[in-house]
Amino acid sequence: MKDNSILVIVARFLIPLVMLFGLYVQFHGEYSPGGGFQAGVLFAAAWILFVLIYGLETGLRVIPLRVIYSLGCLGVLLYCAVGLMGVILGGRFLDYQPLLASPQAAQQAGIILVEFGVGVTVASVVMMIFLQFARRRAQSQAAGLELDQEQDRS
Amino acid sequence: MSVEFIIQLIAALMLGIGGIFAIIGGIGLMRFPDVFTRLHAGSITDTLAPLLIIGGLVLLVGFDLLTFKLLAILFFLLFTTPVASHATARAALAAGVQPLGEDTRDTGASTSKS
Amino acid sequence: MVLLVLLLVVGTAVVLTRDLLKATMLFAIYSLTIAGLFVILDAGDVALTEAAVGAGISTILILATLALVPAREHRQRGHNRPALLIVFITGAALVYAVSDLPEFGSADNPVHQHVGPYFIEQTYPDMGIPNMVAAVLASYRSIDTMGEAIVILTAGIAVFALLSVPPRRRQRAPDAKTRGRDEG
Repeated sequence: MKDNSILVIVARFLIPLVMLFGLYVQFHGEYSPGGGFQAGVLFAAAWILFVLIYGLETGLRVIPLRVIYSLGCLGVLLYCAVGLMGVILGGRFLDYQPLLASPQAAQQAGIILVEFGVGVTVASVVMMIFLQFARRRAQSQAAGLELDQEQDRS
Repeated sequence: MSVEFIIQLIAALMLGIGGIFAIIGGIGLMRFPDVFTRLHAGSITDTLAPLLIIGGLVLLVGFDLLTFKLLAILFFLLFTTPVASHATARAALAAGVQPLGEDTRDTGASTSKS
Repeated sequence: MVLLVLLLVVGTAVVLTRDLLKATMLFAIYSLTIAGLFVILDAGDVALTEAAVGAGISTILILATLALVPAREHRQRGHNRPALLIVFITGAALVYAVSDLPEFGSADNPVHQHVGPYFIEQTYPDMGIPNMVAAVLASYRSIDTMGEAIVILTAGIAVFALLSVPPRRRQRAPDAKTRGRDEG
């Protein structure tokens, strides 16, 4: 679809906008409706739009495969690391109080870090699911398999 | 007949007419015989109706931060609705749907540069 | 009210239609209608999540799946009467139980008496952020959110485990068929 100039121009305009909006929703999750889950989904949607326009190989050059795999796990690990920091610094698991001096700043810092971890995991998992489906189709076509063409039996 | 009454009247008219256009678009989507005619009905009214509705809302709100948010939504809709219908029409041509009518010239969907 | 009727109509249409592409589009409309209902019920975060995930990503992923499967649903013939009976009995029991619940949204429900007022009053003094939903998700009940993130990661790993094995060559299609299939 990269030869179709209308789609390319509009996608070039929209993809950075959607990513920026995803980051906005991520970091304003404390003041407006938002947070990690919505932001991850928005960011992955922008990448999926890029793949639809420019192809899967170009999409995988922008965000490589290993980066997607590792970011998925790193998000959850960040969440658990914040929890463990609470234990190491003298509190309970996922206790944000010992992180910083003033209690409100500590809670806000903990919330931002935790939501960022969730957002990173959600974005990378959605990207990974989409690229697994897309690659499966390419592999099916390359192996010469015919897709099941059952007749409508009713 | 103060100014704000006139503004509210115009806003109400715009909202009403926008809604009527949306309903007309919906009727057209159902009643037209072919993919391409349906796209014609759907995308034109789907671009015009939000324009009128959001214009009416902007008149009602006045000059506020909300105005810029509404204009941003309108801008985004104006960008994506025609492109979506363009993509649908190209997908329909690529899938082999022939437009109705007696004109049997080559529709030009076989080339991908257009 | 209009949205609820639309929800019923769209839900029935999703079940009854057999063309999978139509079912996908109707499912996107269903998700959008539910997001509208959430907005009417003043639930901002949930509406945003439902609109993004249901009407956006879920539709894309189902369409990506539809590229791999036949285009129409394969209907079973006949009815399964014991299953229908069980479903009716369970549904009737649920409706009877719903009629016993307190009135929706009244201020002296037991639901609003214990933790609800605590969260509403204590979120801003405790944390300094105005969004109560984010505070509850990430701080008051953050172990649940960790479980959710782990569940999402597990779903991704499961899809990866299922689809990373290339398809085995079960049968060789005749060339005319694969050439005339599609251009992707």
